[in-house]
Amino acid sequence: MRREIGCNRIDHEVSRRSFVAGSAAGAAAVGGLLTPAQAEAVKSGQKRILQVFLQGGVSQFESWDPKPGTKYGGPFRSIPTSVPGTHISELLPHTAQRMHLLSIVRSVDLKTNDHRIGRLRLEKGRTTGEFPYVGAVASKYLAPPNPPLPGYLHITTRGLEDNTNAFLGAQHAQLKLLGVNAPENLARPAGINEEAAQRRNEFRRLANERFAGRGGQPAFTEAFDSSFEMARRLMKRKSLFEQEPSAKDVERYGSHPFGVRCILARELLNNGATCVKVTHHGYDTHAENFNFHLEQLDEFDKTFCMLLDDLHDSGMLESTLVLVYSEFGRTPKLNQRYGRDHWGASFSVALGGCGIVPGAVVGSTNADGTEVAKREVRGGHLFHTYFRALGLDTSANHDITGRPVPIGDPAAAPIEELLA
Amino acid sequence: MPARRLHTIVVLTSMLIAGARFGAPTEGADFTVPPAPPLPTSIAPAAVDQSESQIGSLHDEIDRLVSAATPDFDTLAAPVSSDEEFIRRVYLDLSGTIPTSEQARTFLKDSSPAKREALIDRLLSSPQHARRMQYVFDEMLMERRVGTDVPNAEWETWLRDSFRDNKPWDQLVTEILSADGADEKLRPAAKFYLDRKFDIDLVTRDIGRVFLGVDLECAQCHDHPNIDDYLQRHYYGISAFLKRSYVFTDSKSKKKMLGEKAEGDVKFTSVFTAEEGQTDPRVMNLPGIPDPEAAKELYIAKPAGKVRGIPTYSRRMQFAKAMITADNVDFRTNIVNRLWALMMGRGLVEPLDIRHSENAPSHPEVLKLLADEFLAHKYDVRWLIHELALTTTYQRSSAAPSDSDQATKAVDAFACGLLKPLSPEQFAWSSVVATGFTTVTMRAQEAALQKAEPETAAAKQTDPLWREESLHKGLKSEVDLVVTRFAGQGGQKTSFEATADQALFQINGPNVEKWLKPQDGVLTDRLQKLDSPAEVAEELYIAVLSRLPTVDETANVTEYLDSVSDRPTAIREMTWALLSCAEFRFNH
Repeated sequence: MRREIGCNRIDHEVSRRSFVAGSAAGAAAVGGLLTPAQAEAVKSGQKRILQVFLQGGVSQFESWDPKPGTKYGGPFRSIPTSVPGTHISELLPHTAQRMHLLSIVRSVDLKTNDHRIGRLRLEKGRTTGEFPYVGAVASKYLAPPNPPLPGYLHITTRGLEDNTNAFLGAQHAQLKLLGVNAPENLARPAGINEEAAQRRNEFRRLANERFAGRGGQPAFTEAFDSSFEMARRLMKRKSLFEQEPSAKDVERYGSHPFGVRCILARELLNNGATCVKVTHHGYDTHAENFNFHLEQLDEFDKTFCMLLDDLHDSGMLESTLVLVYSEFGRTPKLNQRYGRDHWGASFSVALGGCGIVPGAVVGSTNADGTEVAKREVRGGHLFHTYFRALGLDTSANHDITGRPVPIGDPAAAPIEELLA
Repeated sequence: MPARRLHTIVVLTSMLIAGARFGAPTEGADFTVPPAPPLPTSIAPAAVDQSESQIGSLHDEIDRLVSAATPDFDTLAAPVSSDEEFIRRVYLDLSGTIPTSEQARTFLKDSSPAKREALIDRLLSSPQHARRMQYVFDEMLMERRVGTDVPNAEWETWLRDSFRDNKPWDQLVTEILSADGADEKLRPAAKFYLDRKFDIDLVTRDIGRVFLGVDLECAQCHDHPNIDDYLQRHYYGISAFLKRSYVFTDSKSKKKMLGEKAEGDVKFTSVFTAEEGQTDPRVMNLPGIPDPEAAKELYIAKPAGKVRGIPTYSRRMQFAKAMITADNVDFRTNIVNRLWALMMGRGLVEPLDIRHSENAPSHPEVLKLLADEFLAHKYDVRWLIHELALTTTYQRSSAAPSDSDQATKAVDAFACGLLKPLSPEQFAWSSVVATGFTTVTMRAQEAALQKAEPETAAAKQTDPLWREESLHKGLKSEVDLVVTRFAGQGGQKTSFEATADQALFQINGPNVEKWLKPQDGVLTDRLQKLDSPAEVAEELYIAVLSRLPTVDETANVTEYLDSVSDRPTAIREMTWALLSCAEFRFNH
């Protein structure tokens, strides 16, 4: 239950620039240079989530909970960060400079070593059963009534078919964007120009109006109408998916797929998305753990920090909860192929932004990293923490008829010491 | 607040084999209305055990009870539907698609007073009805789960055959709960177990939800915290039937099937009270079924590496009997509630799988009557649907009172027809029927038949069953594509969900474009050949919305044709618009 470092708001006292002066990030927009969309996003008061999912299971030893010089610590050193006393792996040098914007939970125990179950426990905050994902809950409760974009967008390479919205409506389900590709069918067919599209849509709208006057279930026809409205808005935002990122952005974020995806994520957040999840694939390092982490985290570190900087500089970080997580961590012990295997028993999750105490470290593992030493945290605790930080009462029931279903698992509670 | 632990402690006194539990018609556009065939025997009164039935006709009694349940029912009640409303509704509900323009015209012209019942009877005995029920029960039983241990095609054929033969519900469920996958004849029925990987917790929960209408998930770890009726022993009573069974992979065929051990009891501990419990196999509050005195030989086939265990006394084989017994009111109450929801648009208990004393039915007398009569009629599904279709309740117009409070009351009272979102399958089939794309497919199927069997083709292609199956085969990929886009996981729902990518499919997708492309016999082609705007309007509305256009609508069509210089373009756009409007998206 002990927080290892005080939660004084370091970021209010110390300018980020003193840590990153001279870096490429110095080119980011500040203050009056916000784009109109950013300014609108800040002004609207909307809260949102950025999820960065390190798929496959990032090693806690090589990231947030380094144990150099110990039995299982591996070859990498730990380095000091912008938070005095907090060290992370040398594979995350850019992140280390921004640690005052983030906090770490080092004592997560999901009680599973299964990719799918680990993911479900973190996304649903429940150990089992049909519950909505973090992103679907965000879409339901954080999105404005007529959101400019679907509430829950996931930029990923592969499409795993999960029932992400559970009993919340399908409009809150995850909309998958494969890579930086636009959703399917976003372009009008060749034979239909804008004029024709409007003309036939007007005829459709007229038919709908006549029919709406009829039934006793306006919610049905309204939901149907709103799906067309959302489609129309997505089509209008087609350029978001099509625009080539600027040379400056590519230079800062990187030209690799994860870089381009994070640029898209920023654009989506700037333009009214409620939850954007970006998946960075390739952390399931059963062989050559160290080489792979060297490569993977090199890609992650700078790119993630550019995104974090842009959110921070635009003022959006105060209303954006940022999560960096995996379905589990990796085994302390190396296998014969210099790999680390699945390990859900003692690993770390990083988070920051809206409502989260910055610069904190919660919980710890023992000296060799083989088990949680202090403050065991499970998926349910994190789930409560996320939404409490965003201002939602997680002990309340979901806004659905017929079933009294609490939003957060009643068997878990928020990590109070992380709530700003 | 300290976190409470929520881990169930289940002690198996004798462990199961380690690791074994987890593996990880449409009638179409060319449909010619055949003379009404004789009623299937199941509908005819001869099949009814009159001695147990308490009433004259079920449909009249339902109407009486529905009306009596709401004090100001008459002021809320919508009139009986027009023929136009009725034909679209009954085609969708019974045969899974809207009628073709020809079918609609024929029915509207028919002046016989008994034409509604005649149509109901005809649809119920059509091959399209069996297909419709295949879709409905696949969704209800498998909840759009993706599983591969029993191929979909075998399962679908088994379901379709079952409903074509009007297999009683208790028999169908017996086959599902008793299937071990080893008996080839009933292997399709093993899909319920096998494609859930026989995960005991999942199977237990789904049996509660799908066959009993109760969701015992929370009762896995403790008596339900919010629902007094759901007890931990209910959960473990059901799982006790199954706990000794396990997935066995046959070494020769590589097929998965169920084996069973002769021993093993379930004990459970509440995570709240630490109270321990133990239970025999039992269904909800019915008496437990203790094992008989152990036989000398515990096994017919003793489980071993390559031997599928078959115990002398099988607990799993007791399950179906315990489920379908007349004492099990939950069993029949669940299915009649689901069939009511299918026809009326909302369950008497909602959600369909959360029935308990604090989520009481809206019309308890109706629910009890349906359950009693369903038992008296020996679980005859087609008979019940037939009776429901004959009620005035079913046949009321969906025009609700204009005042929104009154409209809500009317909906709650079943005093007007409810909106039913088309299922993904209904939506797909109705789209290809409305656009006349079915004619293209049917023509290709007939040509292929001509080529394959020139001598017998002429006779064969008039067979309604051949026509239904050929059309289905020809359009399967189209239908599957729509279903993938429009179906979420999960079972029968009466809520409505619509997503942006579904709308994008409709607005920009290549399939809709293809259906609208003029070619011989399709709607856009037929409309182009009509002279007057009034004729265009009439055929357009009757083909897509199964009704004649109003005067205003005809005027709109005329204007549209006038304002767009290219006539085929105007026709295609208007057809798209009606195909994409709410009136088409719902059964109303």
